[in-house]
Amino acid sequence: MEAVRRLRKHPLDGLLRPERLPHLWCPGCGLGIALGAILRAVKRRIEEGYLQREKTAFIGGIGCSARASLYVDFDSAHTVHGRAIPFATGLKAVRPDMKVIVIGGDGDIAGIGGNHLMHAARRNIDLLVIMMNNMVYAMTGGQLAPTTPTGLYTTTTPYGNPERPINVVKLVATMGANYVARAAVTHPPLIERYVYKALGKKGFAFIEVISTCPEVFGRHIGMRDAVDLLNALRERVVVKQRPHIDESYYEWEGGKFVLGEYVDKDDPSYLERIGVIKG
Amino acid sequence: MARVEFINANLAIAEGVMAAGLRFFAGYPITPTSDLFEYLAVELPKRGGVVIQFEDEIASINAVIGASWGGAPAMTATSGPGFSLMLEGLSFAIMTETPLLLAYIMRADPSTGVPTKSTQADVFQARYGAHGNYEIPALVPWSAQEAYELGAKALWVAERLRVPTILLSDATLAHTFERVEFVPVRRAERKKPRVPPEEYRPYEPEDDLVPPMASFGEGYNVMVESLTHDERGYYAPTNEAHRRLIWRLVEKVRRNWRLIHDTKTYYMDDAEVAIYAYGSTARAAYAAVKELRREGLKVGLVRPTALWPFIDEDLKRAVGGARRVFVVENNIGLMYKEVARALRDKEVVSAPLIDLELPTPDQIIEVVKEWRR
Amino acid sequence: MRKEVLIFGRGGQGILLMGHVIGVAAAKHAGLYVTSTESYSSEMRGGESRSDLIIADSEEELDYVKVRNATDVIAMYPPRLGLYEHLIGEGALVQFDTSFNIPKDTLRPSWVKVGAPYTRIAEEELGTPRVANMVALGHFVRLTNFLGLEAVEAAIEEVVKKRWIEINKKALRRGYDLGGVEESLLR
Ligand SMILES: Cc1ncc(C[n+]2csc(CCOP(=O)(O)OP(=O)(O)O)c2C)c(N)n1
Ligand code: SF4
Repeated sequence: MEAVRRLRKHPLDGLLRPERLPHLWCPGCGLGIALGAILRAVKRRIEEGYLQREKTAFIGGIGCSARASLYVDFDSAHTVHGRAIPFATGLKAVRPDMKVIVIGGDGDIAGIGGNHLMHAARRNIDLLVIMMNNMVYAMTGGQLAPTTPTGLYTTTTPYGNPERPINVVKLVATMGANYVARAAVTHPPLIERYVYKALGKKGFAFIEVISTCPEVFGRHIGMRDAVDLLNALRERVVVKQRPHIDESYYEWEGGKFVLGEYVDKDDPSYLERIGVIKG
Repeated sequence: MARVEFINANLAIAEGVMAAGLRFFAGYPITPTSDLFEYLAVELPKRGGVVIQFEDEIASINAVIGASWGGAPAMTATSGPGFSLMLEGLSFAIMTETPLLLAYIMRADPSTGVPTKSTQADVFQARYGAHGNYEIPALVPWSAQEAYELGAKALWVAERLRVPTILLSDATLAHTFERVEFVPVRRAERKKPRVPPEEYRPYEPEDDLVPPMASFGEGYNVMVESLTHDERGYYAPTNEAHRRLIWRLVEKVRRNWRLIHDTKTYYMDDAEVAIYAYGSTARAAYAAVKELRREGLKVGLVRPTALWPFIDEDLKRAVGGARRVFVVENNIGLMYKEVARALRDKEVVSAPLIDLELPTPDQIIEVVKEWRR
Repeated sequence: MRKEVLIFGRGGQGILLMGHVIGVAAAKHAGLYVTSTESYSSEMRGGESRSDLIIADSEEELDYVKVRNATDVIAMYPPRLGLYEHLIGEGALVQFDTSFNIPKDTLRPSWVKVGAPYTRIAEEELGTPRVANMVALGHFVRLTNFLGLEAVEAAIEEVVKKRWIEINKKALRRGYDLGGVEESLLR
């Protein structure tokens, strides 16, 4: 708090709603790192004249991650849990001139909203969806997420998660999205680069950002310390130029998170196909 | 003269909403709404609008909310099971004061019921189905012509009051073809901000309790907030802010009821007995009233064109001096509860006539005569 | 004027099309008010098929959406008359396709009973039983005299697929030429 008050000027000041700060994120949370990188990419696009501030919207569902849309000073929506993508689709369909960015957690985007994600990718609707994957339902206190690695402890899998995590990168790629990448809060410049790139794409663009939640994910796997958790993630991260899609599956124990751009193509987008925007 | 067509109530709704300025439709196919959807899929793009079939009803209503914030008059259409899925989104629209039209074409009864047939089982679901304290306008047509007119009006009400609005039709009307004249209707329009973006607060009401609405992309940096919020749209979990918001959402609809209601009366001038009926069932009641009149009974019909908000004074005016009121409906006697509450000084009789085909005039005549003895 | 028209037959006889053509003709081309419902059982061919039309010259005269006291009936499949007899009013004009058996016991004395072998005419003179409905409809126009032939032709042009328009109109006129009530009475 004190630190925030002392910080008079911040490079991203103009893009945040100062009256909404301080934010609700816990100390050491990875989400702030990710939002910073995202906004730097947006800012560059605005400065280059590619994006217009008043023609850019942030849409979130419900969750710690989805809160990002509350803190940014753009047209923004804090919708209901899981439904940010349909909201964004409706908005984009009637405002094709706008750049619509969805930010949400893995539960929001791939759990309760998984059906929408799959179909939005298949539709190749012109959106950028950024999924913060902290591998847990954080806001509600650390329950199992569909992305939780096998064997890990959460409040609703007290004997270890018997399920396999959903590979969202592969799912979205399979559904035909134009752009699919994975980044992590261990590598903020990568987040920035992918977001910058994705903002220039037509069709459905998807970026998974592996994030750290020391507060509830870390606590239940014995890594309550934010730095320990970040380091543990860093040890598991590999960056590749153009990874093969089969490298996208991850595990926590003995596994890797392969970061990189998995898909980058220019298939006709939904709005092109219905004639709302020119190809 | 305006164009005339021989169409069913579903297509009449589609024509009415297009005349009122509809620009976006999102839906998921369900009997008995699909022909409305399919018709718009052909016609709306020709008029510059967009129609999208979504993966389910949940996506559909949320896409409509997004489109509405994009500045487009927007709607969806569904029936029983689909409406159940839309309730979370409806509640979101209520909280964020998002104009949208939901055409609810009722079908018969719980679960999958009888998809092609109708009762009037969902009049309370339309009112109370979603979570939270709220009021919601629900208009209820009795003919294809009125489906055209009330479809347009419901979209107008939604935009004018910044509130999701329900048009409650049913499978019987969806399968009834009638002469429909495309009479001129009011264009749906929302109040726009009259202040520069720096001063604009997206949830600050004017005297009519309706806040002007800036859309996305207009430079107002609007905030759509599903949490309890203050006038700026910022989360405000205090009793004071919460009460202020909830009461305004409710009062906004109640106080502006004259923009929504238009209760019709037939043969009521000297009526001693009134039949209260709505939607398709009112068609049977109207036939029954005429026949009872021919037999010399002083019977009249009171027919609301909006069920919700329920306005006691409007009902009292319509019922006038009649002593006895029969509430005839194709369900287990739902609106009866409201009517009986509002007309405590009268004898109110419930006539719940569940009939997949529509109660018949003879059934209604029998009820009225039975009671006379 | 207020008419309650009931048309019934078997699936595949084009009953619903008859109702639809009458509706379009009345609403769009004859300046009348119409309400119409239809019902059919799920098996498309051979099952029940019925069209109800209430036609009036003012909107106030329309109320219940189904026929209760038919003033005009087209029985395209008379053997099933018994199913609908209770819906037919006294003095109704009941028009039969005499290609089929007529259940004599079901007939009421007050009805004006008219008809012709529509299906046979369609088969023998027009080459297909499928236009029997239009032969009957043409006869209906002549017998009831409240819809102009041009109105019904205009409706056919609007409702029927292009390549079937001519044959349907031909059938309609063939039915119209069957004559008025006097010439058509069944004895
Ligand atoms: C329909 C519905 N069900 C449940 C909830 C409760 N809920 C709020 S956030 C959340 C999970 C959040 O997890 P995630 O999307 O991964 O975001 P995170 O908090 O981890 O960033 C749940 C279950 C809700 N708001 N709505
Ligand atoms: S609970 Fe986890 S994800 Fe949520 S703010 Fe705290 S650290 Fe971040």
